[in-house]
Amino acid sequence: MECRDVATVLEQEGLSPLPLEARDHLNECEACRDLLADLSAIVVAAKRIPAEENPPERVWVSLRAQLEAEGIIGEAKVAAELVAAEPWWQGLAPFLRPRMLAMVSAGILAVAGGLYISTHHTKTAGPAVARSAPPAVTQTAQPPNAEKAAPAPLQPAAPMLSAENVMKKQPGRTISGANKPPQIRESTTALGPSPSELASYGESAAVLDQTESAMPSPADNAAVAEALRENLRTLNEFIAECKARLKENPGDRLTQEYLNMALQQKAELLGAMMDSRGSEH
Amino acid sequence: MERRKMGARGGLYVLGAVVFLGGALTTMARAAEEQEKHFTVSGKPVVTLNNIVNGRIEVKSWKNAEVVVTSTSAPGKVSIDAEQVGDRIEINATSLEESSTSQPHEVEANFQLVVPEETELQLRTQTGLILVEQVNGDMKLQSVAGDVHLKEVSGYVIVKTASGSLVCTGCTGKLDFNSISGSAQILQSSPTSLNLMTTTGNILYDGEFRRMGLYTMNSGRGLVEVRFSRGDSFDLKATTYRGVVDNQAPEVLQPDMHTKHHAISSMAKSLWVTMGQGSARVEVSSYSGTIRIVKRD
Repeated sequence: MECRDVATVLEQEGLSPLPLEARDHLNECEACRDLLADLSAIVVAAKRIPAEENPPERVWVSLRAQLEAEGIIGEAKVAAELVAAEPWWQGLAPFLRPRMLAMVSAGILAVAGGLYISTHHTKTAGPAVARSAPPAVTQTAQPPNAEKAAPAPLQPAAPMLSAENVMKKQPGRTISGANKPPQIRESTTALGPSPSELASYGESAAVLDQTESAMPSPADNAAVAEALRENLRTLNEFIAECKARLKENPGDRLTQEYLNMALQQKAELLGAMMDSRGSEH
Repeated sequence: MERRKMGARGGLYVLGAVVFLGGALTTMARAAEEQEKHFTVSGKPVVTLNNIVNGRIEVKSWKNAEVVVTSTSAPGKVSIDAEQVGDRIEINATSLEESSTSQPHEVEANFQLVVPEETELQLRTQTGLILVEQVNGDMKLQSVAGDVHLKEVSGYVIVKTASGSLVCTGCTGKLDFNSISGSAQILQSSPTSLNLMTTTGNILYDGEFRRMGLYTMNSGRGLVEVRFSRGDSFDLKATTYRGVVDNQAPEVLQPDMHTKHHAISSMAKSLWVTMGQGSARVEVSSYSGTIRIVKRD
């Protein structure tokens, strides 16, 4: 079997268990191994892209209020005054230029992506969530520039935490006063994974299993090969444990986060196994 | 009879000589070949070392505007290429051994680098230690089974291993560690941002919590231990699904009952506490391992 035959098999049959001839060819051909690794990575990544979802209206309202409060965007009437001198359609002209259209589209996509992530992940404490910074609203009660305007006296050394201290600290951590920025209302329902997200876990795992079954033996370097195999075993065990728990309790977010983390690591490990095989020649 | 004895003794001498000569030749063949290369740089260099074979990498700094690369490897078994383009230096070590699935081979190349204090590093090896001391700059360090030791480094540091562990002493800046079975120990450090993630390894954080810092530690099955001092200021959120949250300082860290918290899982055990003003944010999670919060004496 030659490279183009392998490409044809991959094109027609996907990553499903490859025929023996194709696997034999993969053992010898670095380019085809790279192709298989790239395809696997693309399939895994594609399955992780969430389906388009329109955020609820309250998110837009809160976002606008927050941006206005922080002075990032102005009142609507200011913008209206600026464009009043010219007919309204002339104001649209710059936005109809191809480059501007592309930029605006990219901006909209970025905002939609950000909102999607914020609505789906900010309320969890698992691995993926932990990277995100805490929302500004919960950080402090003061507006962003309050510290500059009226510097607070230096705080004494941090006292021991007591019920009183906690109560004293709370007003500083909740929003009050005339300049209070709008509060984002808490969702009344728990934000669980969407059916597409749940399905993607299973599909990603299946793709990775297929890639693993088509994988030639790892590096010729015995120590590295053993380490890679051992870690693959570790990950497979952990993935199996998470899957079993999810079967019992499908809505468990923490298990999903850890399963997600393990699947990512497995994808990277399979890539490393292919690299180690290919790079020694 | 005498002649036969003489013959046997002569044969033994010849055999001994052959064994000795063979051993000497083997030793000579195995003798490590050392190479030293010097690269003069003008600004902040970027050094990339891609060691496809086994071996350790040591990086230390000096005040000179020069990068010195010293390598040791078995002659004829490893190809070491180094090239410089401006302030970018790239070193590649690859095996010259023929690949064979029936006879796995072990080829080794060890590197010692001396770089200016302000240097960016990208180092990769299979097995063997990666040691970096007193270097300021962003770095990405990758290893399959080798450990990574960092001493007094700063910058944005990314460490990825399969089973290698990380020991970081006196580090500042941002640190990102991702491993499958490797452990992480962060000692006497004061990073501004920390993200440690391992599936089965353990995590120990025994450093400072900087104001506005974000410290994230996740381990699937390992132990996560966080140590703090009485004067520290942080908000701590610890969550485990099947493990235990072991608060060893209940007199100082009392669960935060006044803020509404969202449980990530109905089955998870969580602890939310605030220390001082809560300037830093510490998020610790484990799937089935223990989370231990300890106050230093």
